[in-house]
Amino acid sequence: MKTTLKNKNLYLLVFIMIMGAACKKDFLNVAPPNQLSADVVWSDPTLAEAYMNDAYKGLINGGLSEQMLASVSDESLFNHTGRGIDIVNTGNVSPTTTGWIDDSWNWDRMYLYIRTCNTAIDRIVSGKNSISDQTKKDQFLGEAYFLRAYYYQQLLRFYGGVPLITKVYNITDDLKVKRNTYEECVNFIVKDCDEANKLLSGKTMGQGRATALAALAIKSRVLLYAASDLHDKAKLTAKVSGIPDQTLPLLCYTSGNQADRYRLAQTAAKAVMDADPRTGYKLNLSAPVSASQGAINYASIAMGGGSKAPNIDPAGASEIIFAKYFLLPNYAVTPNLYNGPNGYHNWGGNSPIGLLVDDYDMQDGTPFSWSNPLEKADPYKNRDPRFYATVLYDGSDWKPRDKVSGNVDPANQIQTGTYDLMVSGKLTSFSGLDTRNSSLENWNGTYTGYYYHKFTDPDPNIIDQNMPQTIPWPFFRYTEAVLNYIEASIELGDTGPAVEWLNKIRFRVGMPAVTASDQTSLRNIYRHERRIEMAYEEQRYHDVRRWLIANETVGRKVTIVTVTGKFKSGKTQSSPYHYDPSVYDYSYTPSEYNVLENRAWNNALYFRPITRDEVNKNNLLIQNPGY
Amino acid sequence: MLTSNLTNVMNFTGVLTVICPKKGSLVHKLIMVMKLTTLLLIITLLHASAKSYSQKISLNEKNTSLEKVLSQIKNQSGYVFLYTDQNLVNTSISVNVKDASIEETLNACFKNAQIGYKITGKNILLRATYPQTAEQENAPPPITVKGKVVDETGKPLMGASVKLKGGSLGTQTDTEGRFTLSNVPDDGILVISFVGFTTLEVPAKKNLDNIKLVPLASDLSQVVVVGYGTQKKVVVSGAVSDVKGSELAKSASVNLSNSLGGRLSGVVAIQSSGEPGGDGSTIRIRGINSLSGGNTDPLIVIDGVPGRAGGIDRINPNDVESISILKDASAAIYGSRAGNGVILVTTKQGKSGKPQFSYDFYYGLQRPTRVPKMANAPEYAEIMNELQIFNSGLNQSNWNDAWQALKNTGTYTRPDGSSINAAFSPEAMQKVRDGSDPLRYPNTDWFGTVFQKWSPQQRHNLQVTGGNDYTKYLVSLGYLNQDGFYKNSATRYKQYDLRINVESKVSKYITTSLNVTGREENPNYPTVSAANIFRFIMRGRPTDVAIWPNGSAGPDIENGINPVVATTNQTGYDKNTKDYLQTTGKIEIKLPGVEGLKLTGTASLDKYWDRQSTWRTPYELYSWDKTTLNNDGSPQLQVKNFYPDQFHTPNLTEKNINELDINLTGIINYDRNFNGHAVSLMAGVQRQTANSSGFTAFKTNFISSQIPQLSFGQELGQSNGANDVFKSARLSYFGSANYNYKEKYIAQFLWRVDGSYIFPPSHRFGFFPGVTAAWRISEEGFFKNNIHFVDNLKLRGSWGRMGAEAYYGGALKEYQYLTLLATSNNMFNGQPVATVYEGTVPNYDFTWEVANNTDVGLEASFLNSRLSVTFDYFYNLRSNVLAPKTGSIPGSAGIPVYNFPPVNLGRLKNSGYDFSVNYSDRAGDFNYSVSVNAGYAKNKVLYFDETPGAPDWQRATGHPTDAWLLYQYDGVFKDQGDIDANKLDYSGLGISNSSLRPGDMKFKDVNHDGKINGDDKIRMDKNGTPTFTGGVNINLGYKGFDLSVLVQGATGGLQKIGLTESGSIGNYLEWSYQKRWSIDHPNNLYPRLSDSNSGATYFTSSASDNSYYVINSNYIRIKNVELGYTLPKEWIQKLGLNSLRIYANGINLATFDKIKIWDPESTNTSGQYYPQAKVINMGVKVTF
Repeated sequence: MKTTLKNKNLYLLVFIMIMGAACKKDFLNVAPPNQLSADVVWSDPTLAEAYMNDAYKGLINGGLSEQMLASVSDESLFNHTGRGIDIVNTGNVSPTTTGWIDDSWNWDRMYLYIRTCNTAIDRIVSGKNSISDQTKKDQFLGEAYFLRAYYYQQLLRFYGGVPLITKVYNITDDLKVKRNTYEECVNFIVKDCDEANKLLSGKTMGQGRATALAALAIKSRVLLYAASDLHDKAKLTAKVSGIPDQTLPLLCYTSGNQADRYRLAQTAAKAVMDADPRTGYKLNLSAPVSASQGAINYASIAMGGGSKAPNIDPAGASEIIFAKYFLLPNYAVTPNLYNGPNGYHNWGGNSPIGLLVDDYDMQDGTPFSWSNPLEKADPYKNRDPRFYATVLYDGSDWKPRDKVSGNVDPANQIQTGTYDLMVSGKLTSFSGLDTRNSSLENWNGTYTGYYYHKFTDPDPNIIDQNMPQTIPWPFFRYTEAVLNYIEASIELGDTGPAVEWLNKIRFRVGMPAVTASDQTSLRNIYRHERRIEMAYEEQRYHDVRRWLIANETVGRKVTIVTVTGKFKSGKTQSSPYHYDPSVYDYSYTPSEYNVLENRAWNNALYFRPITRDEVNKNNLLIQNPGY
Repeated sequence: MLTSNLTNVMNFTGVLTVICPKKGSLVHKLIMVMKLTTLLLIITLLHASAKSYSQKISLNEKNTSLEKVLSQIKNQSGYVFLYTDQNLVNTSISVNVKDASIEETLNACFKNAQIGYKITGKNILLRATYPQTAEQENAPPPITVKGKVVDETGKPLMGASVKLKGGSLGTQTDTEGRFTLSNVPDDGILVISFVGFTTLEVPAKKNLDNIKLVPLASDLSQVVVVGYGTQKKVVVSGAVSDVKGSELAKSASVNLSNSLGGRLSGVVAIQSSGEPGGDGSTIRIRGINSLSGGNTDPLIVIDGVPGRAGGIDRINPNDVESISILKDASAAIYGSRAGNGVILVTTKQGKSGKPQFSYDFYYGLQRPTRVPKMANAPEYAEIMNELQIFNSGLNQSNWNDAWQALKNTGTYTRPDGSSINAAFSPEAMQKVRDGSDPLRYPNTDWFGTVFQKWSPQQRHNLQVTGGNDYTKYLVSLGYLNQDGFYKNSATRYKQYDLRINVESKVSKYITTSLNVTGREENPNYPTVSAANIFRFIMRGRPTDVAIWPNGSAGPDIENGINPVVATTNQTGYDKNTKDYLQTTGKIEIKLPGVEGLKLTGTASLDKYWDRQSTWRTPYELYSWDKTTLNNDGSPQLQVKNFYPDQFHTPNLTEKNINELDINLTGIINYDRNFNGHAVSLMAGVQRQTANSSGFTAFKTNFISSQIPQLSFGQELGQSNGANDVFKSARLSYFGSANYNYKEKYIAQFLWRVDGSYIFPPSHRFGFFPGVTAAWRISEEGFFKNNIHFVDNLKLRGSWGRMGAEAYYGGALKEYQYLTLLATSNNMFNGQPVATVYEGTVPNYDFTWEVANNTDVGLEASFLNSRLSVTFDYFYNLRSNVLAPKTGSIPGSAGIPVYNFPPVNLGRLKNSGYDFSVNYSDRAGDFNYSVSVNAGYAKNKVLYFDETPGAPDWQRATGHPTDAWLLYQYDGVFKDQGDIDANKLDYSGLGISNSSLRPGDMKFKDVNHDGKINGDDKIRMDKNGTPTFTGGVNINLGYKGFDLSVLVQGATGGLQKIGLTESGSIGNYLEWSYQKRWSIDHPNNLYPRLSDSNSGATYFTSSASDNSYYVINSNYIRIKNVELGYTLPKEWIQKLGLNSLRIYANGINLATFDKIKIWDPESTNTSGQYYPQAKVINMGVKVTF
C-alpha cells in the first residue's frame, strides 16, 4: 500500500519535473548580476556622473609612466632596452615598427575615450536621457567637451589631422572614415573648448576635474601649436620636402596668414592669464629671489602641493590649472622607482643627458661652457637654480640609503663616478654606488652620469624603491600659458610684454632679468627658457617639432659625463666614500654615448605613422609622409 | 537486519581507525567525514534493507512449466537456478504461495516433482536425484570430476583454472584442455576461468566434457556509456573510445586529467604545469576545432550532468567506472556544446554481496621532469666580461685586444684613453673558478638550493561496496597530500573526498539512485606566484649567495624576491579551499503495461564554495658587504625587512565564491526488439541553471601580523568588490532513435534543440542533429561462412551538426546582445569615486557556431578477438565561428578589442585520423597485451576577420590556428668581413647598419626588397600544439605479477626557447652559454649574447620572434610504468584478507626529445613555470 502511494508520488515528481523544465523558456533571459543597463545610467545623475568619472581615464597618469616623453627628446635617455624608445630616437620608425607609444596618446585609447565623450554628448544633447537636473547636465556636457578636446589635442599633436568622430558607432556601421584637415581639427577642438568653457563657467568642480579655465588652457596650447612653423605650409615644405599635395592639408594650414594665427594664440593665452585669479605661483615678482629660494620655488611648483617634504611650499599647487592627482594607496604612482638611482634599488629610467644639463645657464645668466676651465672643473656650481630641482648629479645630496649593505654612504649623496678610496688600507678604485659597477646593484645604473629628480618627492620618509608618491602630473600649468603668450608676442613683434613675462618667470627661480630686446635674440632666449622651465613636462618633444628645429636638437647624439675623483696629493680617504673636494681632485669628462641609442633625426618623425593595421582596416586613411 | 547493517557501518569505522593511526589532522578530518558517511549510510541502508529482507515470494500458477515458474521466482527474489539437465525443468507444476520465503516456495514447487535443491549464496542448485527437501539431505560421497575445457570453436584451452566454489580445491587444464579434480562434493559448483573468457560456473558431475567458454570478446559483449544511456559496444555506430576506471587507477596521477594522455585514441592531454593544485592537463579531442583563442575544450559530463563545476581533474580515479569519449556525431545529442567532443565520466556503483572493503594506499616521491640547466659561476662571469666589451661601444676591430686585456689584466685602455674594466678581474675570475672563497665568489646552483631532492606525496582510498539485489552501495573515501618541489615548500595540495553511490530497486518497476560526492580541495601556495619564483630562480646569479652559512636567506634579487624565501611561508600564505557537494538523484520507472517503456527523472544539485585567503607579511632578507666580519670570522650580515605594501604592515585578501547549479532532466525511453528488429527510442528535456556570487575584500594596515582576519586591518587602503558573479541558464530538448537488425545493420539518429542565455532572444534556439550508421559485414552469411579468422568487421559512418557557444579571449562571451555598463573607480578631489563604463558593445544578431563533423570508421577483430583494430578518419568543418572582428574594426571606432562582440564570421576545417590496435594473448601463466593508439589532427583556418594588407606569406588564413610568425634566421655575422659583405638594410628592426656587430643574427630577406623589416616574417604551418599524438600500452601478467607500461609521444608542435631575463639582472641558460658567438670562438651559427635589461640586441627584442629560437617539441616519454604483485591467496587468507597487491609505479620516468632545456609539454617560452613532475610511487591495495 505504502509502496504504491510512493510510486504515485514518484510518477508525479517526474511529471512535474519534465513539465517544469519544458514550460518556462523566459528563464533564459538572464540579466548579468554585476552590470548596469545603459538606459538606467542615463536616468540617474549619480550614475551619469560615474560615467563621466570614467571618461577621465584616458588621461592615464599623465606623463608619469615608466617611459617618459622626455626620453624621446634631448632631455633624457631611457636606460632599459626593448621598449621601442631607441627605435624612435634612431629614426627607424615605420607603420609596422612604431616604436614606443604611450597609453596617454595611443590612437586606439584616445578614440575609446572620445567615444565615451561622444556617448555623453549624444545622450545629453539629443535628449536621450531622463535626467532633470540641468546644472548637472551642463556639467557633464562641459566635461565631455573638455575631455574630447583634450584627447583630440593629443592625437593632433602626434599625428596631424585625424578623423573627427562624433558618432557612437555600432559594429554594423560603416566604420571607414577620412582624416580631417589639420585646420578642421584645430577649429573642432577650439569649438569644444569654447563649449566647455561656457558650460563650466561659474561651476565649482572638484580637484582633478575639468574647469572652464582648463578648457581655455587647451585652446591656448592648440592655437599656439597651430600658429607654429610646422603647421605653416611654406615653412613646412621648405624644411621637409616630398610631402604629397593631398597630405599637406592634414598636416598644416594651406591658406591664411601665420601672423593671424599667432594673434589668435596670443589672445587665447592672455585669456587664460586673465581668467585665473591666482595668476600662478609667485609670478608677480619684480626682482630675482635668492638662488636657494629659486630652487625651492621651482621644486614647489613641481611638487604641486603633493609633497610633505621640508622646504617645499604647498602653495606650489596654485600653479596648476589641470592635473592628474594621486592618492595613497590605490591611486599613487612610482616615478621615483622608475627613475631613481640604482644605488637606492630604483630603475634609473629617464636619466637626464648632458645636452640638457649643459643647457642650464650659470646663475648669473651666462651660458655654461665646458670650454671654460673653471666651469669644467666644478660644473655643478652656481647653475640656474632650476637645475638643482631637476637633476641629481655626482655629489648632490639625496635621501638616506638603506643600511642593508652596511653604512656605505653616511653622507647620503649621489655617486655616479669612480673614486680613489682606501679600503682596508689599500688604494682601490671605487665605483660609485649609483653606477653600473655599484656594489649594491650593478644593473639599472645611469649611463649618463645623472639621475632624474624633477617629479620625485624629496620627502626622506618616502623610500623610492617600494613606496609610491602623490606628486600630481600637471597637464596645464599657469606658466605654460604665460610662455605661450610670450612666444606669440615675440613672433608678433610685441617684445615688451614678452620681456616683462620672461623676467617674471626668471625672477621666481632666482635668475636675472633678460637683457636682449630684439626679436631674434628674444626668440632664442625664450626657446631656451621654455626648455629649462618645462623640462620633463612633455613640451620639448613637440616644441622642437613645431619650431622645425628637430634635426639640430633631438637629432643630436646623446652626451654623458664621466666623473672621476683622484686623491689630492697627500690626501686620502678611507671607506666609506663621500664627496669631498678638499680630498679629491674631481674631473668631469663629457662625451658622446651611442651604444644604447645612436640617435639620428629623420624628417618623417615630425609626425608619427599610423599603424599599418589601422590603415588597412580603414583604407580611407592617408598615411603620414615618409612612411 | 537493522543491527547487521549497523554492524557493517561500525566495522567500517573501526577499520578506518585501525588503518589510520592517530596522526593529528588527517584522522580528525577523516573521522569528521566518516560521521557524515555513517549517517547517510544508515539512512539509506535502513530504507533499502527494510525492503530487501521483507520481500516475499507470491505465486499462483496452474500447470505451468517449471522453467517459467523458476523464472518468476528469479525475478521476484533474485536467486539464480543452476541445473545441467534441461528435462528437469520441462515438467509442469502447480503452485500457490503468498508472501512465502524462498524455502517455502521451493518446497511448494517441488512438492510433486523429483527435484531437490541446495541454496548456495545466490545460486540454487537443482538436481533430479536428490531427496525431496533440503532438511532431509544426507551428504553423498564426494566424486572425482573429469572434464575438458574448450573455446567457442571447440579448441581445447590449456591452463584454464578449475576451482571449487567456496573451497580451496582447484587445478588447471592440460595441453588438451583436460582436467581431473578429485574429492569434489557431489553438490559442488566448479568455477572455470580463463584469461580473456567469461568465467563459467557449472555444477559438479563426474563427466564434464566440452565445457565451452565464451570469449570475453571485449568488443562484442561490452557495454559502452554513450550520451544519455549505454549501448552494447557491438552496436555502437559512432566513434566512441572508452577506458575503464581500473586502467586509470593504475599509475594514477594525482590529477585525473593527466591520466588520459596516451590511453585513448584521438585524445590529446597536454600538461603545461606540474604545480600541486594546478597541474591539470588541457584536454582536446581531435585537435583544435576553433579559431585562435576560441573554445577548444570538450564538454565534460559527469554522471549525466554536463559542465559540472570542478570538472574532471579532481575525481578520485578509484571512483571511476569508465570514461567514454564521443568523438564524432555521437556527441550530437549534447548539441550546442558538443562541437569539441564530449567526455563522459561514469562513477562506480556498488556491487551486491557482503560488504567488501578495499583500501589503497601509495606513497610517492616527485621531482621535476626537468629544470633548465643554468650557466655556472665561471661561465656566467665569462659572459659578463664579454658584455663589458659589447656594451662599451668599443669598435669591433679592438674587441680582440680588449678581450685579451680583460683576461690578462682586467682593464683595457681604449684608444681615447678611457678604460673598460672587467666585471670579473683575473683574480676574481680565479676565485670564481677555484671556489676558494665561496662567500665572496660563490658558485650557486639556485635550483639545487631551492629544491628538495624528492618531494613526497601520498594518497589513501578506502572503499566499501555491497548490497543485495535491491540495494547496492558504494562508499569511497579518499585523502591526498602532495608536497611542492621546494624546500619548506608553501606549495602543497591536499584533498579529501567522499563518494556515496546508492542504487535501489524500489519495486519491479522503479529503480532509484542517489549519488553524493563531497570534496574539499586545498591548494596552498606562497604569496609569490610560481611563474615569479621560477623567473627569479633563473635570475639568481651563480655568483651570488643564496643562503648564508648560518642558514639566513641571501639578498633580494629584485622586487624583494629571493626564491629561498619566496617559496616558503615566510612571506605569508595563499590558501585556497574549494568545496564541492554534488548530488544526483535519479529515478527510473518502467511503465507497467507497455513493454520497453521507461521514464527517467534526474535532478542534480551542485554546490561549490571557494574561499581564498592571501596573507602577506613582512619578511627579512640578508646581505653582506663582502668585507665586514663578525668576531668569529663569519660574515656580518645586514638584515633588510621587506613589506608587502607601502604601509609596511601585513595585508590580507579574502575571496569567496558561492555557486549553486541545478540540473533537471526528464527522459522517456522505449526499447523493443521485434523479431530481430531492435528499436530504441528516447526523448528528453534538460534544464540547467547556474548562479554564482562572491566577493573579494582587501585590507592592509594590520595592527599585528599574528591575526590574519579582516577585522584587524584598517580602512585606509582597503578595497572590496564582486568576484565571479554570474548567472546562466540553458534549456534543451533532445532525443535519439536507434535501430538495428540482428546487430548487423545499425542506424542511429540523434538530435538536440538547445536554448542558451548566451544568445539574443531571437537567435536563442538551435537544432543539432546527428546520424550514425554501421554495417557489420562479419555478420553477413557470405562473410561468416568464408572468413574465419575475422571475428568482427564493422564499417561505420557518421555525420553530425553540433554547436559551440560564443567563446574567445579565455571566456564565455555572456550578455553580448545587451548594452551594459561595468563599474570601476577613479580618484577626484582626494577621494576614490565609482565609475561606470561601457562593458559591452552589443551585437544584436548572432547565434551558434556550426560544427559539421563527419567520420568514417572501421572496426575489426581477429583471431578470437586477440587482435582488434579501430581506425577513424574525420573531417570537421566549423562555420559561423564566433569571433571578434579584429581585422576590420578600426581603432577610430573607439571600441576596444576587449569589447568587440562576437560575430558569426569564421570558418575552419580540421581533419585527421585516429586509430588503435590491440593485441592480447597468453601463453601458459603468462598473459600479455599490447595496444597502440594514436591520432593526427591538423586544422586550417578558411576564413576569419584577418586584417587586410598582410603579405601573402604572412596571412594566417590558410594555416593552422595560432600558426607562428617568424623572422627566418640565416646564421650570424661571423666577423667584420661578413658585416661588410652584407647588402641588406636592417634599419627596419630598429638598428642602423653601422651598428651591426659580429655575432649579430642575420635574417632572410623574404620579399627581396633589400630591407629586413616586419614584412620578412613568415607564417609557419605549425604552432605550439602537436598534430600527432599517441601512446603504446603494454600489459604483462605472470602468476601474481603484473607489469604495465605506457609510452606516450607527440610530434608536429613547436616550442620557443631562449628569451630568459639574462645579463646583469640574471643568469643565462647553459644552452645559451654553450651556443654563443664569442670573441674567442667566432662562428656563423650562434648569436652573441646580450644583456636583456640594457643592451638587448635587435634579435632578442624587436626581432626575437625568429626561427633560431624555435625548436620542434617532438617527444616520446615513458609516461607510466607499474609493477605489481598480488600475493597468493593462501598466504593472505590467514590474515583475513581477500586479496593483497603491492605495487610500485613511476610517472614520466624518462623523456626523449630535442629541446632538453625544459619539459617538451611546456607552453611557456622562458621557463617561468612550475615544471611537470616525475613521480615514483609505492603502494598497497588490500581487499577484505
